[in-house]
Amino acid sequence: MTQSANLDEANMILVFRLEGEAFGVSVGIVHEILDPLDPTPVPNADPFAPGVINVRGVVVPVVNIRRRLGMSAEQSCDTARMIVLEHTIDGSPTKLAFLADAVEQVVEADVTTLEKVPDLGASWPQTFLKGALRREEEMVILLETETLFVPCLPASAA
Amino acid sequence: MFEQAVAAFVQEAQEILSELEDLILGLEHEQDQATIDAIFRGLHTIKGSGSMFGYTCLARFTHHFENAYELVRSGDLQPGKDLIDLSLAAQDKMSEFLELGGDGPRAESLLVSPETCALIDKLTALTGAQTTAPASTETAKTGAAATEKRTVEIVFSPLSDALCNGMRPDLLVKELLELGSGSVRIDTSAVPSLDEMDPTQSYLTWHITLLTEQDRAGIEDVFIFADDADLKITEHVADEPKDTEDNAPNATASKAKSAPGGAKTEHRQENIRVASSRLDDMMDSIGELVIAQARLDAVSESVTDPNLDAMVEEVGRLVLGLRDATLSIRMLPIETVFGKFRRVVRDLSAELGKDVQLVTSGGETEVDKNVIDRIGDPLVHMIRNSIDHGIEASEVREAEGKPAQGTLRLSARQEGGEIHIAIEDNGAGLNHDAIRKKAIERGLIDEDTELTERELNQMIFEPGFSTAAEISSVSGRGVGMDAVRTTIDGLGGNIEVQSKQKLGTRVTLRLPVTMAIIDGLRVRLGKSVYVIPLSAVEECVEMDMTEKARTSGRSVLQIREHMVPYLELDPLFAQEPSQEHQRRVVVVRVDGQRVGLVVDDILGQGQTVIKSLSPYHRDLPGLGGATILGDGRVALIIDVATLVRWAETQHGANIPKVA
Repeated sequence: MTQSANLDEANMILVFRLEGEAFGVSVGIVHEILDPLDPTPVPNADPFAPGVINVRGVVVPVVNIRRRLGMSAEQSCDTARMIVLEHTIDGSPTKLAFLADAVEQVVEADVTTLEKVPDLGASWPQTFLKGALRREEEMVILLETETLFVPCLPASAA
Repeated sequence: MFEQAVAAFVQEAQEILSELEDLILGLEHEQDQATIDAIFRGLHTIKGSGSMFGYTCLARFTHHFENAYELVRSGDLQPGKDLIDLSLAAQDKMSEFLELGGDGPRAESLLVSPETCALIDKLTALTGAQTTAPASTETAKTGAAATEKRTVEIVFSPLSDALCNGMRPDLLVKELLELGSGSVRIDTSAVPSLDEMDPTQSYLTWHITLLTEQDRAGIEDVFIFADDADLKITEHVADEPKDTEDNAPNATASKAKSAPGGAKTEHRQENIRVASSRLDDMMDSIGELVIAQARLDAVSESVTDPNLDAMVEEVGRLVLGLRDATLSIRMLPIETVFGKFRRVVRDLSAELGKDVQLVTSGGETEVDKNVIDRIGDPLVHMIRNSIDHGIEASEVREAEGKPAQGTLRLSARQEGGEIHIAIEDNGAGLNHDAIRKKAIERGLIDEDTELTERELNQMIFEPGFSTAAEISSVSGRGVGMDAVRTTIDGLGGNIEVQSKQKLGTRVTLRLPVTMAIIDGLRVRLGKSVYVIPLSAVEECVEMDMTEKARTSGRSVLQIREHMVPYLELDPLFAQEPSQEHQRRVVVVRVDGQRVGLVVDDILGQGQTVIKSLSPYHRDLPGLGGATILGDGRVALIIDVATLVRWAETQHGANIPKVA
């Protein structure tokens, strides 16, 4: 909701890296960027949201977006950061966090000029992508947060 | 501004109406002056404020109702059953007016509707008063009654915990003395010696001799919000002269006197209304403070500086005080829920043609508002069940040598950090054969399964097990006993059922006093730390590994002379099987049964601030929330009830894997 309102205007995009590719989310929903924290595993949770961390007194689920995007499990690296953002689930704002290999910068972009992400060479499911932005020589893939963060039912629940 | 005032009026009116119901029902048993005065004041407030805030139809209707209680108050009308019935109907009607949201065509048409007119006619038939005269009769009354000076003896002793609840006897006494002149004596005989004294308790009794023009009601008004005290008022003047001006609407005698009852109390009120969301916010902050405090503790332990230690201790004490104060703001006497049930029982027994009496006790027990808000429906459901299925018809009861009138007892008491609420009837008790039969029918148990009485009793909480076979307008209204259990589980409580055939049934709910902060036992499983609510924990024992080898996967431990089934948490929580040898068993009580939970170690116990889980994790079995540990890590809180039940469904799949 927040981001659709923001998208009407020239937008600020937070650019980060996953497996070398540049991805982006709207700055409007991003709360903070943290050094990686070791999540507390939640037993029987869906692999998409395997753990929780403490972000200044709030228990925040850590989601594994690499999994949804069909990437391999992350390697720890010095540049890794956790991006904490607020997303609305079932009408209630929920904080969540995910790990990026690196956080690069905030860019201003005219999101009305979004291009469709070319199917070629991109194995990421289109439903999780909003479109691509051109930035200098490369593409920044804007993620569709509405679909990307949808919780799925815990598979192991009786 | 005005809108806010109207909203405040509506809220106040709703509160008064629900109070009225209690008071009117109270008249059935005891017709004391205080109750009658309170009813009158309530009606008067609604009438007065109603016409001020655009609820004139409500006010006009209330006027007739008030007239009747005017007469009751002066002793000219006996509050018999017909008046009580009528009053309840009138009170319902007032709620209807209130719901219409002020004056308008709908309110007008409700006022002239045949039903309303019939009510008014009946009320006026009782009072014999003119229907058209608006207001001001009671003004005459107050004035007339208050002409003479009298000596009044007032003995006022706050209950021992009244001070904790914010009572200010000093202000009350001061206010009282403003009504006239008099002397105050304090009885200190109940004060214990200094080393036994708890400074937060009240031990004093005030004896006040007051020379005043006020009548009894005026004096009682002073104590209107000091209900957690014993109050005795003795007047030393001949009974007030019979008021001849009662029915004279235009009496002028009273101009000089203060405004009548309801309005007068308003400006003396020292309570404030606060949106409960603000309290929630405050509680959140306190929760974070408690966590920060725990972290501070951990830091100071590693630093070892005596100055720091002293400071940390000081801060700890303050935080604890602040937490208790905040929790106490959110506490409401459980009477607020109990009160509603009088009407439920009355209506229901009439509907079912059964004679049932409701006896409540412990209504003053205080419970967190969150808990109060959520236990109403389950309790109503259990009360319905008791009356519908538990208590027999009078003839049956007499044939069995029981008193014809059935008794439903609703009691509450606090025990440690828990509230125990019991719903008890002296009816037929649970029919164990029928339950067994139904359980087999529904495939819940096998033909040859032996169940203990307790296990049979628990069966009534199985989904779809409720009394669907016997359809009545009363039961089967949607919430089955399984919904009751779900609600109670959600509150972190549990239910126990005891039943003796032909003697009755008792259902006991054990609930935490508050849901914001609990006492928790920290346990370690592998590298993870979990918190088990202390309220569920019965004891902790060493895991006897040789025992485990011997029973070879039967998952039963012998603790003293009892056999206790146990669950190993590592496979349930999908963790690596523990290789540790010195393991511990936390014995918890679930659905009346003892179950051991095997963990690697017990770390300690302490205050645990409950944080709810996000939608990603909310529905996971066995988890009741999360909390933040002293070192900043997150620990999950185990919900033992859902964990054990879930484990039972997984039994076949999970346990053999371990063995």
